[in-house]
Amino acid sequence: MSFSARCLILACGNTMREDDGVGPFLAQWAEDRWSGDSRVRVICGFQWTPEMVEDVAQAESVLFVDCATDCKPGLLRTMEVQPTAGTSRLGTHHLDAAQLLMLSRQLYGKMPRSSLLLTVGAGSLELREGFSDAVQKALPEAQRMLAEAVQRLIDTVPDQRAYPASLNE
Amino acid sequence: MTQTITIDPVTRLEGHGKITIQLNAQGEVEDAHFHVTQVRGFEKFSEGRPFYEMPALTARICGICPVSHLLASAKACEAIMSVQIPHTAAQLRRILNLAQMVQSHSLSFFHLSSPDLLLGMESDPAQRHIFGVAAVRPELGRAGIALRRFGQHIIELLGTKRIHTGWVIPGGVAEPLSSANRDEILAMLPEAYANISLALAAYKEIADQFQQEISVFANFPSNYLGLVNEDESIEFTDGALRLIGPKGDIIDDGITAQRFTEVIGEAVEPYSYTKFVYYKPLGYPEGSYRVGPLARLNIVKTMGTPKADQELAAFKQLAAGPAESSFFYHHARLVEVMYGIEKIERILADPLILDKHVRATAGVNCLNGAGQIEAPRGTLSHHYKVDEHGKITWANLVVATGHNNMAMNRGVLQAAKCYVKDGKFTEGALNRVEAVIRTFDPCLSCSTHAFGQMPLAMKLVSADGSVVDQVVR
Repeated sequence: MSFSARCLILACGNTMREDDGVGPFLAQWAEDRWSGDSRVRVICGFQWTPEMVEDVAQAESVLFVDCATDCKPGLLRTMEVQPTAGTSRLGTHHLDAAQLLMLSRQLYGKMPRSSLLLTVGAGSLELREGFSDAVQKALPEAQRMLAEAVQRLIDTVPDQRAYPASLNE
Repeated sequence: MTQTITIDPVTRLEGHGKITIQLNAQGEVEDAHFHVTQVRGFEKFSEGRPFYEMPALTARICGICPVSHLLASAKACEAIMSVQIPHTAAQLRRILNLAQMVQSHSLSFFHLSSPDLLLGMESDPAQRHIFGVAAVRPELGRAGIALRRFGQHIIELLGTKRIHTGWVIPGGVAEPLSSANRDEILAMLPEAYANISLALAAYKEIADQFQQEISVFANFPSNYLGLVNEDESIEFTDGALRLIGPKGDIIDDGITAQRFTEVIGEAVEPYSYTKFVYYKPLGYPEGSYRVGPLARLNIVKTMGTPKADQELAAFKQLAAGPAESSFFYHHARLVEVMYGIEKIERILADPLILDKHVRATAGVNCLNGAGQIEAPRGTLSHHYKVDEHGKITWANLVVATGHNNMAMNRGVLQAAKCYVKDGKFTEGALNRVEAVIRTFDPCLSCSTHAFGQMPLAMKLVSADGSVVDQVVR
């Protein structure tokens, strides 16, 4: 069921909770943008769940895409993600990006060589579809940053198929 | 002076609830209650909706077992339509239901309960989660994730979505199974067999370490209710209900969905929004019973598949009659997962499984309809009344957690009497009282239809009503 990708785009969000839907929106854009490109794989869900760990473990790089509630609406950020179990209470049905990486390492003994998190600051998480003005305005730049991040990950992460498996430990 | 202990929230459940333990003047446990504190609303706000919307509407009650509500609801709708669905549709629904059972049981065993079983009831609560399991038994962590994914992926292949698929519709299913998807499911089976075999072996290795828990985790005689086929094999999607007594004697049999509404009653207690379900001829609370994996395995004579039958034989060795401890829900769950995988393989071999005729159509032919299935946690019943235009005028859902409510309350009291000493919690006592509830794998979302955050707490209350101790985590 799982297969490796040079870059796995792992997005999450709920399109019925306004700006929380920015992850699925960007995932759909990425699906169209890299349609037919086997180097890029896109997975999107309401939440990041433990069942996604196998996909993460098999990817050479991963770009997590989500909204953020700890910054200005529409603010775009890209940051590196390091594996950690975290100190917050673990949910049954969701993990954050760092926890997915940690579980990937613990369960499968490997994880992507490079991991980035792209977030879009949420202005509203009300029960409706569509985006707040701030997020709507940020979408073109978010798409540009997503494309740049994917290219960076593909360019900087060597193709694992050309190297011995031991290099991925 | 009596005191009350409250556990709030009870952790690692589907949803959240609260436990209150009442102490007497000597600091001994006098009574205990499991509270579900959210109000139920789906029956009321579905009034006026067209009956054919009910499967999709009621599936939104829960993100864990939406398939159960889809199926029970569709069956109730088909009673209103007075139709028999095509053979292939019935078979595909069985696969869907079994896939959901596999993924839900895997979540319960590996994600929710295995931290207690593998790390110990007294282990550091900061480690009692999936990362702790991954650290000590990564192969079991991988097996759990793979089995849950196996079930979810089958649901996705059939219904295009893992959660809240709209594939099950009144009259059958929306699309037939493609040969490519059948082959993809078949290709996943070997790994699934390996993973459940690993889990069963691991459980049997460690179960003996929990003798005290086995003795006090809702370990008492009770009645048991579950679906069964005419050949006395286990059934999840069709068949009729059988109620057995504490010694395994059959109290009632052949309870159809329509008769369910005549013989099953719902009582209300002031401390919980979840109702207390009972068998009317025995009265309340004497007519209370347990449902779910433990009940199903206690009721059936055979699983009907070879590997699961081997496991059932081992399960039946646990007691001369019905296995009484709710700790054995864990074991029963794993046996059912084995059955689910085998049964899916068997159904896929049906020569008609790719048939394109998967839906019957009809309008309103009856103003009253009921459907029942086995959800992972136990029996689920939907009962609707409609007007001549098919609009819902009345609806009632009886969910597994309601059936088990009395047993969960009695189980909490039994465990609290054993583990709460001198009117105080220890971490291990707290966890064990919670773990009793976890054995039932209750779904509080289903039982209350709550929306949003639903934390559950444990509270210790004195005789004068003051809160002596409280745990919220």
